[in-house]
Amino acid sequence: MAVATKSLHGAVAAHDDHAGHEDYATRLRLNRLGMWLFFISEAFLFGALLATRFYLWGDTRPELDQMVGLIVTSVLLLSSASMYVADTAAEHGQWRVFSVAAWTTMILGLVFFLGVVIFEWGLFPQIYEGHLTPWGDKYGAVVFAMTGMHALHVLSGIVLIFIMWRLARKKHFTPEKHWGIEAAAIYWHYVDLVWIFFYPALYLIGTAHH
Amino acid sequence: MGHYSTGIIIILVLAALTVVEFYVALATHSAVFLLLIAALKAILVIWFFMHVKRLWSAEGGH
Repeated sequence: MAVATKSLHGAVAAHDDHAGHEDYATRLRLNRLGMWLFFISEAFLFGALLATRFYLWGDTRPELDQMVGLIVTSVLLLSSASMYVADTAAEHGQWRVFSVAAWTTMILGLVFFLGVVIFEWGLFPQIYEGHLTPWGDKYGAVVFAMTGMHALHVLSGIVLIFIMWRLARKKHFTPEKHWGIEAAAIYWHYVDLVWIFFYPALYLIGTAHH
Repeated sequence: MGHYSTGIIIILVLAALTVVEFYVALATHSAVFLLLIAALKAILVIWFFMHVKRLWSAEGGH
């Protein structure tokens, strides 16, 4: 009798484990689908900003510092590399590597944000004198709209990574179950993806308008 | 290092494409070339960093 009860308990536990795993797999698939639907909805927003740029500027662009554009783009690209390392480290349970890579991403994100605020927006003229204003002309309006919306996403990405880093410290994730980290990582790569189109649209396409 | 090798290769390709983009812009202001390079970079990011293929993964695992 005791043996039969024990074996029944074992079977129930195994069934619960299996059901739990299936539940997580289903939730994970739905979470991923939800995240990608969110990305598609965001693409309409960023696409509208790009359409505005091409409609208003045509084959021209504002005179922007090319070196600033190349540096902030490189910083964001590096942050994508460190986020990839953080995500992969979490997948393999290398939590120390995850921690260092997550902080590297947050710092690089902050450097990118400061680069935009100081050099593109010229909010600190004592450091760098900017010549565009959001109300000045069509160039300033579009530059501020595009970089502003993107910078907002960079800031929210930094907050998201910080929350994931804190949860990881509290052992909230395992190599098998770390959707939160994966979500933060793909969100960050999405922010990079948007800049892949914004960089040429703002800095490279068209002739500079003096 | 093995776990990270794909990411490192992709980052190097993305960096090289960014440099190409910069010099193409200096040589020509053609939007078509620049948007094609941007599209290529976007595909690499979506496929390798955003793991779009996991959407169809039957296991749903990482």
